[in-house]
Amino acid sequence: MASRTAAQWQQPPAVPDTHYVSGNVYSDPQIFAEERDKIFGRTWTIAAHESELPNPFDFRTYDYANTPLVIVRGGDGRVRTFINACSHRGAKLVNEPGGNAKTFTCFYHFWSYNSEGACVGIPKSEAYDQVGLDPSKCGLREVRTEVRLGLVFVNLDDAAPGLDSFLSGALDTFQSVMGTGELEVFHFQRSVIRANWKAWVETNMDAYHTIMHVVLRKTQVDSTRVITTYPGGHLSTDGVKASYTNYKGWGDRSQAMALPGSAPDDLRVGNLFPNSAILIRGTVMRIDVLSPISPHETAVESRGIGIKGDSDANRLTRIKHHNQYWGPFSRNWPEDAYAAEACEKTFSTGAAKYQIIAREENMRGQDDGMMRVFYAEWSRRMGRPAHNPLNR
Amino acid sequence: MSAPFEDIRALIYRASLTLDREDWIGFLALCAADFRYLITAYSPELRKRMIWFDHDLESLKALLDMVPQHLRRHGTLLRHVSVGMIEPAGSPDCYTVTSTFQCLHTELDGTTRLYAVGRYIDTVTMSDGRVLFLGRDTQLETRDLGIGSHVPL
Ligand code: FES
Ligand SMILES: [Fe+2]
Repeated sequence: MASRTAAQWQQPPAVPDTHYVSGNVYSDPQIFAEERDKIFGRTWTIAAHESELPNPFDFRTYDYANTPLVIVRGGDGRVRTFINACSHRGAKLVNEPGGNAKTFTCFYHFWSYNSEGACVGIPKSEAYDQVGLDPSKCGLREVRTEVRLGLVFVNLDDAAPGLDSFLSGALDTFQSVMGTGELEVFHFQRSVIRANWKAWVETNMDAYHTIMHVVLRKTQVDSTRVITTYPGGHLSTDGVKASYTNYKGWGDRSQAMALPGSAPDDLRVGNLFPNSAILIRGTVMRIDVLSPISPHETAVESRGIGIKGDSDANRLTRIKHHNQYWGPFSRNWPEDAYAAEACEKTFSTGAAKYQIIAREENMRGQDDGMMRVFYAEWSRRMGRPAHNPLNR
Repeated sequence: MSAPFEDIRALIYRASLTLDREDWIGFLALCAADFRYLITAYSPELRKRMIWFDHDLESLKALLDMVPQHLRRHGTLLRHVSVGMIEPAGSPDCYTVTSTFQCLHTELDGTTRLYAVGRYIDTVTMSDGRVLFLGRDTQLETRDLGIGSHVPL
């Protein structure tokens, strides 16, 4: 055992290249700009849950990797997404996080748009006649939108492969839980954490770090975890059970409260490349979506989801179950945020050089394979190996 | 009997000071047996009020007992409270107290940042000549709490 010199500290860990990651992936501004283009600009991502737009003309806004979006359910019932920018002089069109509006009228010169993105009003438009500006060509920029299992997916790239090809079956395992009855978001939290977006992704893929959480140390056994991988860097894990009564003050979760196709003590997780996670704890579900702001700042959007039409008492119980682990006042989510910020403090300054993701347990238990799958896809899309992205 | 305004104000301020000191036992001693602590926030995204923290006295005590075992943000919290209105609540000897608060977080290196602002809607009751909390609804304006914390506001 010995400490290391500066030169030794620069040396990559003595493990296969696939089993460690350079700190540059978190901190380099050029890499961040490329991620925005090659990853966030081209992959499907969850922009909302359908229950946030139950009625015609309901809308939600969402800043996705610094691209403002507005998601609207049209009068025809279809969910569409637009870049939230006025066609006239580019002003941000819709500011409210959510609402209901048949038309969106820009505050600036009152150009207006309908729920299908068509420009339907230009005040004093006769002055455009001379140059022949055609209002039918002044619609909003539509963003590809697809709904699967209640999740509203969007893709900024009109040329990207379709959603089903992107997902490669990664959502199939959630068919019964998310596709049986109607679900509803009851918790929405947007928290900006001072960390690179991948540091949060890792909290949902690092099976080893459950040792950090007192609630997980007490309530769950990790050796039974089984990891499934899908083309495109998606993952799901199954086989973990939770014994909630092992944590002081907590009771069991009843079968009557279980989500469709779930046992109340199930813990199942799905990770959709690059930035989303679906977590199911028997009676309640959480969905995380990450929106990078800068290399060092990330908006984490966490939703809590239950059954639509729950009695008030059941809803309250489900909220309590949610809040045990998840939410800003929970006993698990803040610990993950702490961990993500702690790694940022060293990688952002170059003080730390590498992270080791070398645990091998045959994709079971506390194998680091989920992070290796993620970084393999990251490397493929970026055209840069995660272990040496700047080719130094 | 006239309303014990001074005792009620003192209770609200004492609660903040005990919480700032992380004197959980001291805080619980200010609560009636059927106390309920809620933290809520209105979500303009969902157009619904959300419950982010919901504990009766027993589960709050269990939560506070576990605090030392948890990983959590370092440093201290300071709650700055202004008691606004004290109004009679439904039952005799019960009052609704509306206060505004700012909660500031100071890091170990001495940097202070605003953590949350909101209102305390407290229900207080007289018991054996003492004023006690019957309920607290901490209604947050701030919804982005950064890394958050399960320590009550
Ligand atoms: S910028 Fe929107 S109407 Fe002019
Ligand atoms: Fe975690």
